[in-house]
Amino acid sequence: MTTNYEQLAKKLVARAKKMGAKQAEAFVQVGREASCRVRDGEIEHLSQSTSKGVGLRVFVKNRLGFSWTSDFEPSSLNAFVDRAVQLAEAAAPNPLNGLPDDKDLGRFPDVGALYDAEVASLAPDWKIAAALEMEKAARALDPRIKTIESVEAGESVGEVFLASSAGVSGYSQGTSVYLYTGAVAEADGQLQNSWWYDARRFLKDLESPEAVATEAARRAVRMLGAKKVKSQQVPVVFDPMMAASFVGGIAGAVNGDAVFKKASFLASKLGQAIAPPTVTIVDDGLMPKGLATSPFDGEGVPTRRSALVEKGVLKTFLYDAFTARKAKTRSTGNASRGYRSLPSIGTHNLYLEPGTTAPKDLIKGITNGFYVTSMLGHGANLVTGDYSRGANGLWIENGELTRPVQEVTVAGNLLQMLSRIDGIGSDLTFRGSVGAPTIRFSELTVSGA
Amino acid sequence: MHAGPLLPHPLVERLLSAAMERGAEFAEVYVERNETTAVTLDEHKVKSAQSGLSQGVGVRVISGAKVGYAYSDDLDDEALFRAARTAAFVAKSATHEQAFNVARTPLPTFYRLPEHLSAVAVEAKRDLLVRANKAAHRFDTRIKQVMASYADSTKRILVANTRGHLAEDTQDLCRINVMAVAEGKKGERRTGSFGGGGRVPFTHFDTFTPELVAKEAARQACATLGAQDAVAGEQTVVLAPGWSGILLHEAVGHGLEADFIRKGTSLFAGKLGEKVASDLVTVIDDGTMANARGSLNVDDEGTPTQFKVLIERGILKGYMYDSLNAKLMGKASTGSGRRESFKHTPLPRMTNTYLAPGEDSPDDIIKGVDSGVYCANFGGGQVDITNGNFVFEVSEAYEIKKGKVGKPLKGVTLIGVGPEALKNVSRVGNDPMPDPGMGTCGKDGQGVPVGVGLPTVRIDRMTVGGTRVAGGKR
Repeated sequence: MTTNYEQLAKKLVARAKKMGAKQAEAFVQVGREASCRVRDGEIEHLSQSTSKGVGLRVFVKNRLGFSWTSDFEPSSLNAFVDRAVQLAEAAAPNPLNGLPDDKDLGRFPDVGALYDAEVASLAPDWKIAAALEMEKAARALDPRIKTIESVEAGESVGEVFLASSAGVSGYSQGTSVYLYTGAVAEADGQLQNSWWYDARRFLKDLESPEAVATEAARRAVRMLGAKKVKSQQVPVVFDPMMAASFVGGIAGAVNGDAVFKKASFLASKLGQAIAPPTVTIVDDGLMPKGLATSPFDGEGVPTRRSALVEKGVLKTFLYDAFTARKAKTRSTGNASRGYRSLPSIGTHNLYLEPGTTAPKDLIKGITNGFYVTSMLGHGANLVTGDYSRGANGLWIENGELTRPVQEVTVAGNLLQMLSRIDGIGSDLTFRGSVGAPTIRFSELTVSGA
Repeated sequence: MHAGPLLPHPLVERLLSAAMERGAEFAEVYVERNETTAVTLDEHKVKSAQSGLSQGVGVRVISGAKVGYAYSDDLDDEALFRAARTAAFVAKSATHEQAFNVARTPLPTFYRLPEHLSAVAVEAKRDLLVRANKAAHRFDTRIKQVMASYADSTKRILVANTRGHLAEDTQDLCRINVMAVAEGKKGERRTGSFGGGGRVPFTHFDTFTPELVAKEAARQACATLGAQDAVAGEQTVVLAPGWSGILLHEAVGHGLEADFIRKGTSLFAGKLGEKVASDLVTVIDDGTMANARGSLNVDDEGTPTQFKVLIERGILKGYMYDSLNAKLMGKASTGSGRRESFKHTPLPRMTNTYLAPGEDSPDDIIKGVDSGVYCANFGGGQVDITNGNFVFEVSEAYEIKKGKVGKPLKGVTLIGVGPEALKNVSRVGNDPMPDPGMGTCGKDGQGVPVGVGLPTVRIDRMTVGGTRVAGGKR
């Protein structure tokens, strides 16, 4: 059965208008994915699947109705459209509701290739071989690797079709391929689990199975013997992955909706210096081969590259069409969604620009401090900026990483943390769609014994 | 509501045959149709009314320890048989032709609704939020923002396997949630959040009213205005009853799931019969509680759920098994095989997990603490089941001084190692302990509804994360 999804999206929009919607928009996602997991040299799990779905947003007398379905039977689709139109009756009218304004729409940028034919036709045997190699490499690194929690290789292919009564007709397709290893090390009755992964749009950009597995095993083994430390205030270094999660947290606070409601600790800081001049944070919808690159956002607005923080100064907040209207500004092309959800504000490829210091040199200057390599918990309260997360890592003594540490928390306030960034590494690393280099904070509170 | 079987039984039987054609040991067909409704309110307005429908079939084939899985959201014969044959690929022997017959298993009914939630008018659901918004704002003039949401689902499942079992169930689930933001002096902002529901009829909200939910969210937001930074370090903590059960869920529950035990990645592996907690600690996982959020008549593999004692007076008694891990470990499934949807394979999961009540009065527990932290409400939590480290965020906390609950504290995070924290449980209250029905647990990217519960509990020596070091500088 082949369906012309572009036609389908347009048909649904037309039907919604016929049923009384002033505006309508259909967002279709079609994809397939496959993965392989091995254990003890044998296949443990093989899966392969296809999926599809459509979300329909309608505006009837300024009221918003939304419905989604994975049932594309022609006999069900009319009822599906009618349901969305009926649902709008239950919502309150809001003159700010509606599809993006003409001034926000326009030509889509050329974002380059996001689809790799090699990934799209990846044979099961490649994944099996890659997974087997990872399992072997992780075990080979150190005899204290006791068990492999999981090794997995997989790929996905996705397509998006968007049609709206505002005249948008968008299509994009992309691939992604990933490798994952989780390894458990054991010594003296203590177990330590660590994982590593890589995900890329193109197969040739993917790290080797051996590199992924070795890094997972190395991270597990070096945590053996971890202990609590005493509570104290010390310089703290986040490795690139932890720095990326910190940057991701900051991005939540530039969400235009939270800002409008003053539910963000950055709400009153636009145009002000919130970090040292070395700090530049960018949200880039156009990044070549980025996992979150796309020519248009979830409501058809062309994407762009925006500096959120430039040389320490907060430059912009992020908006979708609705929030932009509310805040009397323009959409920044940051409506993010899947077919099952209404658009909401989100980031594309988000990163902290690298500095020039080698990561080693960031640690070298610290006599007593904490190098954080993994964290637990959700951590940040974006309304107040309060930040507190469980942290694991290595203690720094006289410029060297010395002993593993666990069962402590790292706490501070995001605004204070931003101002205390006193070192940025040259090692910008992307794992997924958020990237960062190693960063150093002059002082944070570590809570332990 | 869609009537009739989700998939005709003869078709299910033919799919099982197709899944077994390469000679596997076991095959299973899982069919799901899930209708959802959601309404959201923000800035005094009902922002949107939404509905969704997802349906599909997942086919699982097991050969030894190997699992093949494929799903399809197209329900035409061609797509279904393609899924069955794709899953079958994991087995590699010669072509087998075998017929399978399935017969329906009778199920208990821990939730029977007079009217499915999908049949309740969306206007009634919307009105809950309008009432909640009013009540939260009326509670205190310092409440500046209210966000409320209502969501429900009516999920029908059919699961059949080559052992001849077929189970069909309809699982309704709903939840209301209110978040309130209070503004104090100098623009200080604090949030409060409360909600609940379960596998309950819509009339549940006649007693668990939106006003009650809204007032509690607003109370939390106002109560924490002016909160001081917590002192970091080891302290005595007292946990309020109810939602605090998330500590148990994180600190112990996940580590008792059989997949982690089999792979040796949990620190509770190989410790059956050993003392892993204080004598006061008895932990139950109960999938059979009437109308509870985590309850199921049958798990997602067709096995009835159970009342299971995991830890009895501090001794580790049992793990939670799905059928695959049970088979590989020579045990029986405990009805713990759950999945988010047809797009996922089942994993051993919790249902409603709680600490059995003890004998102390909650007041006495607090009176007995000279200096410590009272944890009244909680955000989320997370655990590393391998080293046992868990963390959870306390959204409403107070200092305890000389047996009295005092000033509010902010930014409190509790961190510990599961078994150590349980060994430090020194008092267990006799107060009611189920949570109001608002938890969703995530594992391997799959979210499933769960219940948690805890009476008032005192834990000696728990690490409290904060920004203030005792006796040190700010």
